[in-house]
Amino acid sequence: MSEANQSTIIQTRDLHKCYWVGTMPYPALHGIDLQIRSGEFAVLAGRSGSGKSTLLNIIGGLESADRGQAEVLGEDILKMGNSQRSKFRLTNIGFIFQAYNLIRVLSARENVAYVCQLQGKSKQQSLEIANHWLHEVEIGHLGYRRPDQLSGGQQQRVAVARALATEPKIILADEPTANLDSTTGRHLIELMQRLNQTLETTFLISSHDPDVKQAASRLIKLSDGQIVDSWDEIPQPPRSLEATCPLRNRPFTERLRHLFTPRRKARQQNRQRTSRHS
Amino acid sequence: MVSRLGILTYVALAVRNLVRNRRRTIITLLTMMFGIATLTLLSALNDGWLSQMKTNFILSFTGHLQIHAKGFESSQNLRDNIADPEAISRFMDTYPEIIGWTQRIRTSGLASVSGSSSGVQIMATDPEQETWVTSMDQSVTSGVWLRPGMNKDLLLGKTVAQNLGAGLSDRVILMTQRPSGEMVSEVFYLRGIIETGAPQIDRTLALISLDGAQQWLQMEQAVTDIVIRADHHDQTDTLYRLFVQQLSEQVYEIMPWQELDPMVRQWLEFSDAYGLIILFVVILLVLTEILNTMLISLHERQKELGVMIAIGTQPHRIFLMLLFEAVLLIFVGAVLGYLSASLIVMLLAEGGIDLTGYANAFEFFYMDPVIHPQLTRDSAIKILLATLVAALLSGLYPAWKATRLSVSQALRIQ
Ligand SMILES: Nc1ncnc2c1ncn2[C@@H]1O[C@H](COP(=O)(O)OP(=O)(O)O)[C@@H](O)[C@H]1O
Ligand SMILES: [Mg+2]
Repeated sequence: MSEANQSTIIQTRDLHKCYWVGTMPYPALHGIDLQIRSGEFAVLAGRSGSGKSTLLNIIGGLESADRGQAEVLGEDILKMGNSQRSKFRLTNIGFIFQAYNLIRVLSARENVAYVCQLQGKSKQQSLEIANHWLHEVEIGHLGYRRPDQLSGGQQQRVAVARALATEPKIILADEPTANLDSTTGRHLIELMQRLNQTLETTFLISSHDPDVKQAASRLIKLSDGQIVDSWDEIPQPPRSLEATCPLRNRPFTERLRHLFTPRRKARQQNRQRTSRHS
Repeated sequence: MVSRLGILTYVALAVRNLVRNRRRTIITLLTMMFGIATLTLLSALNDGWLSQMKTNFILSFTGHLQIHAKGFESSQNLRDNIADPEAISRFMDTYPEIIGWTQRIRTSGLASVSGSSSGVQIMATDPEQETWVTSMDQSVTSGVWLRPGMNKDLLLGKTVAQNLGAGLSDRVILMTQRPSGEMVSEVFYLRGIIETGAPQIDRTLALISLDGAQQWLQMEQAVTDIVIRADHHDQTDTLYRLFVQQLSEQVYEIMPWQELDPMVRQWLEFSDAYGLIILFVVILLVLTEILNTMLISLHERQKELGVMIAIGTQPHRIFLMLLFEAVLLIFVGAVLGYLSASLIVMLLAEGGIDLTGYANAFEFFYMDPVIHPQLTRDSAIKILLATLVAALLSGLYPAWKATRLSVSQALRIQ
């Protein structure tokens, strides 16, 4: 590795992603080249539908891509098998979601301890770690409550503790403040910033919350599946739909369906789709 | 990296998920309980019924096992007789499974009373020995049972007596063939009427003493049947094997009770098939119920399962968790169902279920009008295995489906 690359923790090259609804392609990402350095508090901004979640999911190994590479900690996550990805996530990546997404039947500390147990730690040890992190996110006294006995802000703190408990290098947070009122949201941002500084954990956060954007050490602007330098910039429409949405990535049965869809209709649909991008 | 998140954690998760959806769990459990309890009760009724029927059948006429001269059962010819029954009867004391045995001569003939006549099965037996094997002596509804020395006396089945218009002390002329083929007839005095409840017996039986028959038919010590009663139906097979070893196949035929009456055998087979159909239907019900519950639960929890996978749970653990849930539901439901049915069976076993009102239909099959349900080990094992299979089947599909869940789709669910 070269000197400049040493601190690169996430690197995507020419990343393309397409969703299909029936025989109709929906390009979500086209040509994302993104580099995140270790310790950054990077915020991915963009309107709803611009592809933020898709990008985070691909980087987190939850979703496949149609083209390009996504290296995380020097490993191409797109080339891993399912169980390899699952282990990779467990060791290296913490997730925070918009809707908190705690396991409903487990108490706060059990939710946090769960991931430690998945890592192979004993139950006792895991619960101790959980207590530590719950204190760290300032809700140490609420460990025995179940998610439905906690407020949204408190639940999101549990989620942060859960994401940190495995001591990952990277935390991916998908609109973490979207379900919170602005005061609670600001507290959460301060908390994440503090953890970013003390633990040197890299944060990649998607958001269109102005408070989050303000806290960012770097702002990455996403518009219609492409990174833009300023919001005034009009993203280039994809060179061709076939480049973003190659048919060869489709399952065999779906490819058969394409054969029987009249050409003209398909072209018409594509034109509509592309015009929406410009 | 080996995860220590053992089976117990997933059992705990499964239990908590069931408790969380308390109402659905209870409804499912009740359905399960009801299904398994019905199954258990039906099979207990069936088994009790069958067992009574076997006992009645055996005690009314055939015994558990009969030994004949080879070919007698199909020829029904007195020439196919056992000339030296001593050769066999010496075994009788050596097997503790045998609690009684008797010797008989069986042949068909004609009975006449002052002008009217009727075809009969003449059966000659040792009146004392017979009481150890069948309950025929207790089926005497009027008159008396035979005593040794009553060599010119006879008992008739109730329907035969009615058809002939014969009353006690009447002269009855029996006619039949000797082993030599010579036709003979003889006068007997009617001393008793027998009603066994089995129509084919009551319609045809003419009972005389063995000594009298041997003299009349000039058969010396020869007999046609040696009839054995075991302690319990279950010992029939053991005894059968013992005799097959001891006695030459060229000379004797050894027949367990099932073979002695083809109608009874058919009825037993039918009743087994009937039991299987009940089992099948109930299991199908249980299976759909659990499958439905599990699929709904899977649908509701898609997002949570997606999150569990996202934060690093391996899909095969999700699979196990859901499987545990299904098995737990079925297991608890089955145990509750089985226990409640056992309780009902225990309460009913003593007094039985009285079907006297419908008794006419039942008598035909050696049935008592009062059924005593009975839980057997066989049926318990059958029910247990069947529910287990249902649990696995209904758990496997949703569990497998969960492992195919698209995490990114699941996370987008609001
Ligand atoms: N499962 C899906 N099927 C079809 N289209 C999808 C699916 N998920 C996302 N998309 C589309 O992909 C684009 C990007 O979505 P997303 O990554 O969720 O954006 P964001 O998170 O920025 O709101 C949108 O146009 C969205 O409608
Ligand atoms: Mg999103």
